[in-house]
Amino acid sequence: MENIVIVPWEPDELTHEFFVPEYIIALAAEVLKHYSFQVKSMQVVTTKPDKGGAIWRLETNEGPKSFKLLHRRPTRSMFSLGAQKYLVEVQGARVPAVIQTKAGQEFIEAGGKLWFVAEWIEPLAPVTKDLEGAKQLCYALGEFHQLSKGYIPPSQAEVASRLAKWPKSYEKVITKMDWFRNIAKAYKEMPASQSILNVVDTFQEQARKSLADLKQSSYLSLVEQGNKSWGLVHQDYGWSNGQMGPNGMWIIDLDGVAYDLPIRDLRKLISGTMSDLFNWDVTWIREMIRAYHEASPLTPELYELLMIDFSLPNEFYKNIKEVVYEPETFLNETTTQLIQTIVDTDQSKWPALNEIQHDWRK
Amino acid sequence: MKILMVCTEKLPVPPVLGGAIQTYISGTLPILSKFHDITVIGISHPSLPDNEIKNGIQYVRVPGIILEIYREGVVQFIQNNSFDLIHIFNRPRLVMPIRGAAPNAKITLSMHNDMFNIEKIDPTEAASVLKEVSNIVTVSDYVGNVIRTLYPESVPTIRTIYSGVDTERFLPGNHPKMSEIRNSIRKQHGLENKTVLLFAGRLSVNKGVDRLIRALPQLSTKFKDLALVVMGSKWFSQDDVTDYVAYIRALAKKQSIPVVATGFVSPSEIQKWFASADLFVCTSLWQEPLARVHYEAMAAGLPIVTTARGGNSEVIIQNENGLIVENPEDPSCFAEKITTILSDKSLMKRMGIRGRELAVANYEWNRVANEILEVWQQSIEAPLTNIQHNDLESIQTPLTNNTQSETLEVYQVEPDNEFSKQDKVDKEDKVDKKDKKDKKEKKDKKDQVDKKGKKDKKDNKKDNKKDKKDKKDKKDKKDKKDKQK
Repeated sequence: MENIVIVPWEPDELTHEFFVPEYIIALAAEVLKHYSFQVKSMQVVTTKPDKGGAIWRLETNEGPKSFKLLHRRPTRSMFSLGAQKYLVEVQGARVPAVIQTKAGQEFIEAGGKLWFVAEWIEPLAPVTKDLEGAKQLCYALGEFHQLSKGYIPPSQAEVASRLAKWPKSYEKVITKMDWFRNIAKAYKEMPASQSILNVVDTFQEQARKSLADLKQSSYLSLVEQGNKSWGLVHQDYGWSNGQMGPNGMWIIDLDGVAYDLPIRDLRKLISGTMSDLFNWDVTWIREMIRAYHEASPLTPELYELLMIDFSLPNEFYKNIKEVVYEPETFLNETTTQLIQTIVDTDQSKWPALNEIQHDWRK
Repeated sequence: MKILMVCTEKLPVPPVLGGAIQTYISGTLPILSKFHDITVIGISHPSLPDNEIKNGIQYVRVPGIILEIYREGVVQFIQNNSFDLIHIFNRPRLVMPIRGAAPNAKITLSMHNDMFNIEKIDPTEAASVLKEVSNIVTVSDYVGNVIRTLYPESVPTIRTIYSGVDTERFLPGNHPKMSEIRNSIRKQHGLENKTVLLFAGRLSVNKGVDRLIRALPQLSTKFKDLALVVMGSKWFSQDDVTDYVAYIRALAKKQSIPVVATGFVSPSEIQKWFASADLFVCTSLWQEPLARVHYEAMAAGLPIVTTARGGNSEVIIQNENGLIVENPEDPSCFAEKITTILSDKSLMKRMGIRGRELAVANYEWNRVANEILEVWQQSIEAPLTNIQHNDLESIQTPLTNNTQSETLEVYQVEPDNEFSKQDKVDKEDKVDKKDKKDKKEKKDKKDQVDKKGKKDKKDNKKDNKKDKKDKKDKKDKKDKKDKQK
C-alpha cells in the first residue's frame, strides 16, 4: 500500500460519471479501517478525475458521513483541514465537523494524498436564486470570515496565503491579455479570434487601471495586518457551498481555504451573480454588500478594495484563459457568443460601480 | 591550506542534476585541489555516497533541500572540523551560522544571483554578513553592482569571476568529434538543410522564449530555411503543463518555420544540441545574473543574440561574437538582430569563430580556478573580522525564520513557476515544505508515467482536457439555466 500513488484518471465512454479506479477504491477501504464507525454502504457523489480527487457518502452506524480523497498536496490539505477543525471546535461555526480516526487523527495519508471523514450535514437545501437567497449567502459568508480569524495552521502544514499576492495576480491578468491577443492573431481564421481582438485592448486597459488603483490604495497597509488577523477566504463559495441546514446556513467544501482579504469571496460572489443576471444591478449589489456588512463590517479601506477588485475584467479573464490549451476548439462560435455576452454585461458594470463608488466614504 | 567549499542546499555536487553553481564548483575543483587540501560539503543524493574521497577531494553530503535542515548539517560538520578558509556559495544566510561554528576561519562568499535583495535576506543580517566575509566573488558585474547599490557603505572587495565551460566537451558542429553527432541529430529531427536557431533554458515568462517564437513570422518572410530548436524540459510535460507552456505550444503550432522541442535533455548531453545549431538566442526578459548558456554557445562556435538584461551582455562584444537586443519585450527586435546575422554569412561565420576563440581564451575552467586561487590568497591575508560577539548572537536568531529561505536559484532547479521568481518569493512561507513535496510528487509522477508509457499518457491527457472542457461547458450551461429559472 505504501508504494501506491494516486494519479489523475481518464474517464471514457466505458466509464460512468462517478467512476473511480479500482486501486483507489481498494485504498479507500484500507483508509476506512482506521475509523471506529462501521460502514454500511458507500457511494461516490463527485469526482475530480483530472486532479485525482473524489467524495463518497458513507452510511454508517453513526449516521451519514462524507469521505473525501483530497487532490491537493498533503501539506496544503493539512492547512485546510486544520482550518475546518478550528472553525468547528474553537469557533463553533456551522461547517461539518471532521471525524477523528481511532488514533485521534484528523486524516489518513495514503497513496500520496490525504483522506478524511466529516459529518454529512442533512438536510441541506440551497437558498432561493433571488435577491433574498443572495443576501442569505452574503450574511453567511460574513459570519464565516469573522469566525475564521485567528486560525493558525498546524506546524506540518504549508501556509496557504493569497494576502500579499494581489498585485502579482493583477499583473498576471495584464500579461495574459497579451497572450490572448497573440493567440487570436495566430489563429485568426477561427471564429472567435476577431471577437477577442476587438475587445482585448479595452479589457487589458481596464486591468492596467485596476493595478494602478490597487497600488494607490491602502492595500499594503491592510496586508501588514497579517494572515491571522484577516482570516480565511473560502475561494469557491456560492449557491452550492453555502446552504440552509440545521440551525442556519452551513458552509461546506472548505478544501481550498487560504488566508486573504475576505472581500475577495464577496467580490466573486457578487460579480458571478451579476454575470448570471447579465446585468450589473445596483440594488442587488448594494443589498448583498449590506447583508455581508451586517455579519462582517466593511471598513472604507476594504470597500475601496472591493471596488478595485470589481474593476478588473474578471469575467472576460476567467472565461477566456483556457484559450491557451486548445485554441482550435476553444475559439469557436460559442466563445464568440460568450464574449458578446460578457461585453454586453460589462456595459452595465461601469455605471453601477460609479453609482455605488462612494457608499462607504472615509 | 585547508579549505571548505560550502555548496547550496538545492542540488548535489558533482552536478548529477545540473545547476550553474554545481557546474562552477565541479569545473574548478580539479585545478583547485592541486594547490589546497579541499573538502566540499553539499547535499546528499541517492547516486552519491555521503562520504567519499575522490581525486584527493573530500566530499561530505548531508540532507538538504530545506535551508534550515541543511544549515544544521553544515554547522555541525564545521564544529567538528577546522579550516583556514571557508568558501560559501550563494547563501549569505549561511555566513553567520558558519561564523558561529568557525570563529577563526576566513570566509569567502560567492554570489551567483541576487540573494542580497531585501526579500531574500533581512538587511540587518545582510550588513553583518558583509562585515564578516573577507571578500565576495560574483558571476557577473551585474550581480556585484546590485550588492553595491543595496549596501553602499559596507561592501567588502567584490570581484567578478566569470564562469567557465569545458571547451573540450562543447565544440563547434564542424569539429571532427561533433560533425557526426550534428548530422545525426539534424537528420533525426528533420533539420537537414536548415539554419537552426537554438534556445536553451527554462520555459517560463522570465526566460521569454515566446518573444522568439513570435519573431518567427517576420523572419520567415526573409529566410526560407529556418528552424527553431527549443531545449527546455517542460514542453512535453503532461500532468503539470503550465499556462505558459500551453501558450508557447499554441503559438509554435501555427508557425510556418518548424519549431522542434527537445524535451528534457540530460545535462551531460546538451553539448550535442549546441553543436547541431547555427545561431544561439537568449531571450531573457528578467535581470538575469548571467546565464551559463552564453559560454556554452560560444564554445560551440555559435553566434549569439542575447538581451540587455542583467549580466548577459557582459560576455558579448557587439558585432564580434554576437548582438544585443536592447528591448527584448518586442519580438521584432529579435527578428532584426537575427536578420542582421543571418543575412551576412561571413559575419555569421566570423562571430562563431570569434566566440569559440573567446571561450578558449577567457572562459576555460583554468582561468576560473586561477582567479579563485587569487581570491583565496587575498582572503587568507585579510584581517579576521572584528564583529562584536553580542551582535553575532542577535543576528543568529532571525535565521530560524524560514521566510527567506527560498532562493533565486530555484529557477534552475524547479522550473515550475511560469510567471516570475517573485511569485516564488510570495510563496516563501510555504515553499520549503512545498519544494520537498513537489520533488517527491514529481518523482512519483515520473515513475507513474514511465510505467504507463509516454505516448499513451499524452493521448489520454488530450482527451481528458477535452472532457474537462466539455464538462465545464455543460456545467456552465446548467448553472445558467438554473439561475434563469
